[in-house]
Amino acid sequence: MLTFTEEITLLMLDDDGLFLPIRGGAVEHILIGAVLMDLAFANRVDTDPEQLVVIDATPTDNPLLDGALERIANSGESLDTKGWVELLAREQAAAIRQKVMDNLVERGIIEVKDERFLWVFQSRRYPTIDGRVERGVKLRMEDVLLSDDMPDPRDIALVCLVDACDILGDLFSEREMERVRPRIEQLRKMDLIGREVGAVIADIEESITMAMAQVAH
Amino acid sequence: MDIQEETSGSTVVVAPSGRVDGFTSPELEKRISEIIERGDHRVLLDCANMDYISSAGLRVVLVSAKKCQQQGGKLSVCALQPSCKSVMEVSGFLNMLEYHDTRDAALAAG
Repeated sequence: MLTFTEEITLLMLDDDGLFLPIRGGAVEHILIGAVLMDLAFANRVDTDPEQLVVIDATPTDNPLLDGALERIANSGESLDTKGWVELLAREQAAAIRQKVMDNLVERGIIEVKDERFLWVFQSRRYPTIDGRVERGVKLRMEDVLLSDDMPDPRDIALVCLVDACDILGDLFSEREMERVRPRIEQLRKMDLIGREVGAVIADIEESITMAMAQVAH
Repeated sequence: MDIQEETSGSTVVVAPSGRVDGFTSPELEKRISEIIERGDHRVLLDCANMDYISSAGLRVVLVSAKKCQQQGGKLSVCALQPSCKSVMEVSGFLNMLEYHDTRDAALAAG
């Protein structure tokens, strides 16, 4: 089974293997949110609106997650989820992003394509080579969003992340979006970590807007 | 956390007391799962003595509600203390689950 971190990364890649434009450009914050969700579902951390705490510091044996777990467990700091998302995004997101891509390549889900243009600039793409996994994740999203059944907490967490990225429009047609919008509204706050990731990204967007307004004046 | 259990008609009332968090919620999940597995699919979670719920606790409530629904029953919630009610309201859980202010009201509603 893929981690949330791997699932959301697959959903953030477009058909050419490039990252979709993510709300606020906050790929790092999304990845850290996913890592914290993975740790929560592995019963390593727990949250409430005021704090995120380690309840079991035993390594998960997944290198993707254990760096963040160790950092939180050894910090002695009391931060809320938002605080940890911001701090870990600065400290660990780049390494986590690389590990996720390496994992997905190793599992044969995506491949690395390095290309040069104008003989100088190099770009790296990660096209999908096994689309079944990504289709499976999208089907899960459709199932939970197009149904009125009681949702599974894992599916809610994924919906919260996808909503925070603002990439639902890339996964669903306009007509489908009209159908699923009320359900998204219902689910988007139900995962406390997902909700905080959304709040962090809203803050980033606001800062960008304010900075641009200042430049314009 | 202590968990009281009693049956009222076709409903099993489960009343946890204290904190429902990452340490204690597995015990609550196990208890409700046992109730569902023995064929009782209508569960009322009486939260009058529950003074804290974390995200791990919320997940257990949701998983248990889903299990009840899959068996044709339901899990409803009653008597939340203000701090827990606030967490469940803000996170949208009370829009998803049937909620009553008192155990009597919940049992009367069936």
